[in-house]
Amino acid sequence: MTNIEQTTAPSVALSPGRMTLHRALRHVSFWVGGTIVLAIILAAILAPAITSHDPAIQDLAQRYIPPVWTEKGSWDHVLGTDNLGRDYFARLLYGARISLLIGFMTVLISGAIGTALGVCAGYFGGWADMIINFVITIRLTLPVVLVALVVVALVGSSLTLLVMVIGLLLWDRFAIVVRSATQQLAHREYITSAAAIGSSTWRILFKEILPNITGPLIVVASIELAHAVLLEASLSFLGLGVQPPQVSWGLMVAEAKSQLLFRPWMIAVPGAALVLLIFAINLVGDAIRDVTTPEGKA
Amino acid sequence: MEASPILDVRNLKVDIPLTDAVLHPVRGIDLTVARGETVAIVGESGCGKSLTALAIMGLLPRNARLTSERIALKGESLTSAGRKRWRQLRGDRIAMIFQDPMTALDPCYRIGDQMREILQQHRRVSNKEARQRSLELLGKVGIPSPEDRLSQFPHQLSGGLRQRVMIAMALLCEPELIIADEPTTALDVTIQAQILRLLRDIQRETGIGLVLITHDLGVVAGMADRIVVMYGGEVVEVGACDDVLARPLHPYTEGLMHSIPVPGETRQGQTLGFIPGVVPRQVGELTRCGFLERCPYAHAKCGAGPIALRDADVSDGDDRMMRCVLPADGSGRSPEAWVRDVEGA
Amino acid sequence: MLIYLLKRLLMTILVIAVTSVIAFLLVHLSGDPAAAMAGEGASPADIASVRETFGFDRPIVFQYLEWVGRILSGELGRSYYLRMDVSDILADHLPVTATLGVMALSFALLLSIPLGVAAALRPNTVIDRVALWLAVAGQALPSFLFALGLMYLFGVYLRVLPISGGTTWAHFIMPSVALGYYATPAIMRLTRSGMMDVLQSDHVRTARAYGLSSWRVVIRHGLRHAIVPVVSLAAVQLGFMLGGSIIIESIFSLKGIGYLAWESIQRADIEVIQAILLVIATAYAVLTLLADLLNAALDPRIRIS
Repeated sequence: MTNIEQTTAPSVALSPGRMTLHRALRHVSFWVGGTIVLAIILAAILAPAITSHDPAIQDLAQRYIPPVWTEKGSWDHVLGTDNLGRDYFARLLYGARISLLIGFMTVLISGAIGTALGVCAGYFGGWADMIINFVITIRLTLPVVLVALVVVALVGSSLTLLVMVIGLLLWDRFAIVVRSATQQLAHREYITSAAAIGSSTWRILFKEILPNITGPLIVVASIELAHAVLLEASLSFLGLGVQPPQVSWGLMVAEAKSQLLFRPWMIAVPGAALVLLIFAINLVGDAIRDVTTPEGKA
Repeated sequence: MEASPILDVRNLKVDIPLTDAVLHPVRGIDLTVARGETVAIVGESGCGKSLTALAIMGLLPRNARLTSERIALKGESLTSAGRKRWRQLRGDRIAMIFQDPMTALDPCYRIGDQMREILQQHRRVSNKEARQRSLELLGKVGIPSPEDRLSQFPHQLSGGLRQRVMIAMALLCEPELIIADEPTTALDVTIQAQILRLLRDIQRETGIGLVLITHDLGVVAGMADRIVVMYGGEVVEVGACDDVLARPLHPYTEGLMHSIPVPGETRQGQTLGFIPGVVPRQVGELTRCGFLERCPYAHAKCGAGPIALRDADVSDGDDRMMRCVLPADGSGRSPEAWVRDVEGA
Repeated sequence: MLIYLLKRLLMTILVIAVTSVIAFLLVHLSGDPAAAMAGEGASPADIASVRETFGFDRPIVFQYLEWVGRILSGELGRSYYLRMDVSDILADHLPVTATLGVMALSFALLLSIPLGVAAALRPNTVIDRVALWLAVAGQALPSFLFALGLMYLFGVYLRVLPISGGTTWAHFIMPSVALGYYATPAIMRLTRSGMMDVLQSDHVRTARAYGLSSWRVVIRHGLRHAIVPVVSLAAVQLGFMLGGSIIIESIFSLKGIGYLAWESIQRADIEVIQAILLVIATAYAVLTLLADLLNAALDPRIRIS
């Protein structure tokens, strides 16, 4: 947080009492969201300890066992089994691994690209800004899902490729936000004085600019994390994302699609997991935005 | 003064509840405006003058609470009037002119459309009649080639012209009362004088009651019949304009007077007088004089309790009131008197 | 204004040109198009013959220039799989996607603008909370899940709407809702914050001070201003919807551009894929151009200068 933000007066129309209440709620949302995300991460890491089933082992004698809350369910397969007799709960746990792995890896890539472009555009301005702006426009013009599908289909799907493709597609928001944040900083006194006393450009970028844009950076990272998880799920749903024998939640929904009529829970379970994860990430992101930006900005 | 003033406000208070306290930006204001009278409300920003105006217009922000013994417009009490009645009166019987003509007009609509919209809200008139009336008024406020202006957007006009348009808009429905909130603050000095003259001429011609809100005593001279000086949400001095300017009674008014440059007397480079400090945040009830911290004549008495607004019995004018323990004759405004008072106490 | 228009137009053309290069390279450098077209298990000789037939053995710059030349003369190419001209195929599929996009956007606007205005008028009340939570929850729901949910509720459980195909208006209802809802949180938030800003502005205070009725103040002097950035966003969102229609169309078997893209990708029908990429990117670029122009037209300060 910077001084400017702290001294911004709260808007008159909102009574401060409600404002504080709102803030408190937002902080609650931070804890709720954070707990859910952490729980899902832990479940993914500890998957082998939580279930003894292997998500890839097929058992055609055990096909379509219903989940435990139905009459024919059993505690052996808590969430039942799928069309190939694989344990659904195990698939859910191992599926979280892929979703999270792809999510975090792509955010690292897209974050690095977007931040580098954004900082350059914002700090140097002029031609650099124009060119980078053009690159951002180009990127926005390309339809994400379609481009990802084309590349994945033509190259042949693999985890590495998925991460690369999604990472290379989702850096635009990073670049836009970082660019404007850097622009605001670049003319502050301490930056210009750092330049005046002869600090190198690299030093200014890494020591003065980057540490001061972590707030918006984290917010965008949370948005893009959710976005990447969503995109992976969509690609897998269309059959061009994660490939068997690997599991992902999007793939589980895709495989269960034909069971919409007879076994809707097979879609609902991985679907709910997906919604919960993205919702929790958004909650955390919203809470961070609330704390790091001035009042009144929705 | 006539039997029924155009505006009669008694004990107007505005409270704004916060989490930890309640703000009292307006602490019980009395204000009367007679027909054909111009009353100036003078004070620094934050003294509550603009909120007083908004309260009279029924335009307070949602979180503000308004209480009053009486708000009456031409004898009609508005203390219990509903939102609908307020809305009917606004723009029709009371009109308001705002500080910044650059932003007060809607940039998306032509001048003619904005004037017609107001007129048709309050009167059953055809578009043609509305146009006729708008043209007439634009001419009256001294806008050249009014036909062209009707089809122009606000951004195509200069600041002075826009303020003239605002004045024309205020006059559309022939209101009883116009409240002008710092009408010239945002304008160039030369334009300021023109706009003030226009307001004065119109007021004399139509006999409208005018409330002029300003922080600049220089604007008031020659404009107002009476002056109401506000400080910290209270009225600290009332009197006829010439009397107050000739002999301010309250130390705050005196301070305001010293901060006006006087043409011919104030030399270049000379430091103007100023009042040290800022208007304090209006939290809680006052237990002493609100001006105490900034007053050059502060007495021991000033901290003893809240000061009442009292009649100042001075020879040079009627109806003068002040909220100060100092004698109205100017004695007591010296270090000796201060020492005497402390020793006496 | 004219200079602005020309600059903006030039920019759009440049964007489309660069996008066409990327679309072309994407298809040609992501593996061997000849191998993909020849299919799995094709012999090296088959692949070589495909390569020669379609001219993939020539330098890539040459291929690109030839492709662009053909497009500029109005020929989008020929589908090797469907054995039809790409322009004819697109002409069959575009109306479906256009209908879907317009209906989806209408749904999004009709839902989000009133909600955003209501939230701005009563900040931090129940309606504001509901709107905000709807937005947060909405962003968390992937469109394919939402589509399946709708399908289950209205198509399977209630049996009131058809779940597949695109022959009647009713067929478009669920796809439009599923596609459009994803744009609602962003539009709603922008409407809300824009309205909150404008309601604090001086000219709205003037409108109130002159006794204008509440809806006039809110609509004519409030929303009229807040809507300007929303128009831009809506155009951009429509562009995203065209790109995102692939998921919805494949779920509901709507034979639009997205469905065509999905099929063509599976058949490695690269002429069609290239053309679709170009069409969607061009549509997006043109939509943003229109949004900017509309923005300028809506603001008299820009229009008259």
